[in-house]
Amino acid sequence: MSDPRTVDELLDSRLMAHLDRLDVVSKKIFAGKIHGERRSRRRGQSVEFADFRNYAHGDDLRFVDWNIYARLDRLFLKMFLEEEDLSLVIAVDASASMDFGTPNKMQYARRLAMALGYIGLVNNNRVSLFSFSDDRIERLTGLRGRRRTREMGQWLLQLQPRGEADFTAACRAIALGGQGRGVLLLISDFLFSDGFEKGLRSVAGRGFDVYALQLLAPDEIDPARHGLLGDLRLVDSESAAEVEVTASSAVVQQYRDRLDAHVASLREYCVRRSIAHQVVETSLQLETLLVDYLRRRGLLA
Amino acid sequence: MMVAPPPIIAVDWIAPVAGAVIAASTIPPLLALYFLRLRRSRRVVAATMHWRRAAEDVRANAPFQRLRLSLLLLLQLLALGLVALAIAQPQVDLGLAGAEKIALLIDRSGSMGAMDGTEATTRLDDAKRQAIDRIRALHGGGLFAGPAPSIMVIAFASEAIVLCPFTDSSAQAIAAIESIEATDELSAIGGGVELARSFAAIGGEDGAASTSVPAVLEVYSDGRIGDLAGLSLRDGERVIFHRIGGEDSPNVGIGAVAVTRLPESPGEVRVFVRVVSWRTSPTKTDLELRVDGRLVAVTPSPVDLGAATQDADTGALLPGQTQAVFPGVQVPAGAVVEVRVTADDLLAADNAARVVAPRLGGLKIALVGRGSFVLRSVIQGMSPASFETFTPEAWNARVAKDPLAPDAFDVVVLEQVTVQSMARGRYLMFGSAPVGTSIVPFGTKEQVVPRSIRSEHPLMQYVNLDDLFVASMTAVAPGSDSDVVVEASEGPMILTLSRGPLTLVYVPFDPIDTEWPFQRSFVNFTANALAWLAAGGLPAADEPLRPGDVAAGRLPAGAQSPRAQFSSGTTAPLSLLEGGRFTLGPLRRAGTATIAWQGGSQTGLSTSIAYAVNMDCQAEGCLDTALGLQLATNSVAAQPSRAASQSVWQWLLLAAALVLLLEWWVWLRRT
Repeated sequence: MSDPRTVDELLDSRLMAHLDRLDVVSKKIFAGKIHGERRSRRRGQSVEFADFRNYAHGDDLRFVDWNIYARLDRLFLKMFLEEEDLSLVIAVDASASMDFGTPNKMQYARRLAMALGYIGLVNNNRVSLFSFSDDRIERLTGLRGRRRTREMGQWLLQLQPRGEADFTAACRAIALGGQGRGVLLLISDFLFSDGFEKGLRSVAGRGFDVYALQLLAPDEIDPARHGLLGDLRLVDSESAAEVEVTASSAVVQQYRDRLDAHVASLREYCVRRSIAHQVVETSLQLETLLVDYLRRRGLLA
Repeated sequence: MMVAPPPIIAVDWIAPVAGAVIAASTIPPLLALYFLRLRRSRRVVAATMHWRRAAEDVRANAPFQRLRLSLLLLLQLLALGLVALAIAQPQVDLGLAGAEKIALLIDRSGSMGAMDGTEATTRLDDAKRQAIDRIRALHGGGLFAGPAPSIMVIAFASEAIVLCPFTDSSAQAIAAIESIEATDELSAIGGGVELARSFAAIGGEDGAASTSVPAVLEVYSDGRIGDLAGLSLRDGERVIFHRIGGEDSPNVGIGAVAVTRLPESPGEVRVFVRVVSWRTSPTKTDLELRVDGRLVAVTPSPVDLGAATQDADTGALLPGQTQAVFPGVQVPAGAVVEVRVTADDLLAADNAARVVAPRLGGLKIALVGRGSFVLRSVIQGMSPASFETFTPEAWNARVAKDPLAPDAFDVVVLEQVTVQSMARGRYLMFGSAPVGTSIVPFGTKEQVVPRSIRSEHPLMQYVNLDDLFVASMTAVAPGSDSDVVVEASEGPMILTLSRGPLTLVYVPFDPIDTEWPFQRSFVNFTANALAWLAAGGLPAADEPLRPGDVAAGRLPAGAQSPRAQFSSGTTAPLSLLEGGRFTLGPLRRAGTATIAWQGGSQTGLSTSIAYAVNMDCQAEGCLDTALGLQLATNSVAAQPSRAASQSVWQWLLLAAALVLLLEWWVWLRRT
């Protein structure tokens, strides 16, 4: 998988044709800021009836149910479910640890975010993009409509992985970002030195329908198979901390056990807080992930 | 007791201490450096938190896992170990670790002249080269070498000679080996082994006290050694057999040659030849007959030779044989008759055999005494050149007038008489005891039978004395210059005496008083005695010698400027002993040796005597090398030639360099 340099390379036309038939599904009904294509618990002007209430002075007479008035001689106002837009927030981990692996995790994250954002834009959802790296949080908010696709792509392309991410601060910023409630997609490897618990806790309690997509490169899952053996001085891509390791089969197996335990703890934490968790190996075809995996998980329909 | 053959691959360390020091001083520091500063390849990973915990977990259970699984460290240790081994200078072959003395016994017998060595050299050349390589390997340790064993060099054939006693000087030992000259003799190692044992017991050239460790005997030979069956190893003694030569070396040679003069035409001889073949398939060969080097006859058609066969009982190889005759060849007296096979083979020394043609006439014989019919008949039956009889008085008068008169005859026969002077001459004496010699009579013995007979003595050839009974015999006591040939309980029955110009065969009884004259053995004995005396108490010149024999004889009175000429073209002056006696040799190569002189009157116009020396093709002609030495109680397998004195330090250094290259390559791949 080559490094995408243009928006067209980030999202090719064949994949776009597949994505045009998909839509983001939220398990919850959220209130949007403008009329969208989704039901809202807020009564509005859609065609779907919701309830009656007594007429009050100043109400729009167009919504008075004149048939009831004829029978009961009392004014009732018809109330309809208002269709609101869906807020789709995509947060991309742009820390240095994402710039690793073959295929590269950052490249995969860009393409995944582009594909999901495109689905949101095509379906008139309000798409917001966040990236967090090196104590910096970048955002691109208020995207709506297919015509914002290129802008979204340009923004994703300019992301440069660097530094050590503060996941907790990033999640708090997203939660308090005023994007409205909606679907939050967290695309990260979740390899944070200070843990992922606080960050997830901050977004889980804000009414987001949260999806944690954990990207792992094949090199990380099975390092011995990819030549990581022998006497090594391993350098942490984020903190530059060094660890001297003799990567014997026993050590590699121990590492894999540790990684599995880490993934299992993340999954358990997510399940407890109604967060969907999906491990994504970057060798997996993006189309397969979207059309197969994420549809089964209920994110796309 | 069977001694296991030496190991096929053993290691002798030239400088073990240096190697151990190098290993001890470098390997531990390498391990320490590895632990202190292990060179690791730097790799960037997404996060190290899982690796850190994994390494800590494993390290807690296996503190040495780093060392155990480091390929680079293993390669470095391997390279260092190889360098240390190279400095220790191992030699693959002999398993002589701790050997203090090594005796190199080099076979120079006739079969070692076979031209099947490497680079078209003889086996002896190969043996000398291997022995020199061995010495250089033992003393080639250089700066790091420990004490090298002392080396002794012995060359052996029919007899063994010490060329260099135990020495620490490799140059001296090598010079001794280079001085070894080829012979055509038989092969006998017993004398060499005894010499090695003796020198090992008395210490080295500096006279130092010997140690209890016996010398290691390294034998460089083709294994065709005649006296192995009588050789036993002593406790702690080791023999290493370096097998020289190929396994299949076909050879054809002359087994024997003899000539007889034709009675009807004394100027001609009939030549009898026995040809032997050691080839494993039938073959043919032409025979050439040469007289004094001149080709006079060739067999009309090639003679057929059968294939060599293996003896069913002993497993020994038996040659194919055939006989041929050259009838009626004109040969002057004293000429050298040579028969040669024309077949090409690897051993040239046995391709020709020679014999000296017997003299035309017989001996000049004088008979002093009663002149009994029996003795006269026997002497006259031998066709002497001249035969004169004397009374004792006439003989005494003649000798009194001319003291050199006995030299006018080849042999003087004294029958029951005592002459006044026996100062010089060659006498066959029956009955009365000689006067003026060391033989002392002390009475008479009756009813005497022989008890001890030296059947190998020339006098006793074809002589059987089993039926001899002597009614009365003069009892004599032999002197220091006497040699008893036949002895009875009562004293000598036949003895010889040799003192200056006097040679005597004495029979202290009268044959007429016995039945001996009527037996064939009396005729044979008389003929033997006359021939032996005529040759000066030595084998007759017309009998071929074997390599290693000494040619000895007597020149006529007045012979001057004697010199020896050899068929190889060399000449050497000859020193005469008392009475014109001479000895020449040992004659170690097959061929002819001619004694030439000036003056002298006894043999008329003849001023030379030729001796033929023929190789024993039956014993030395088989060129198949032995796989081992079959001693009396031990068997010693041949040391594989590939492992003979091979220094391997250079290969170890090469291996170390290759390991370092591999280590460098692995390091590059990891960085």
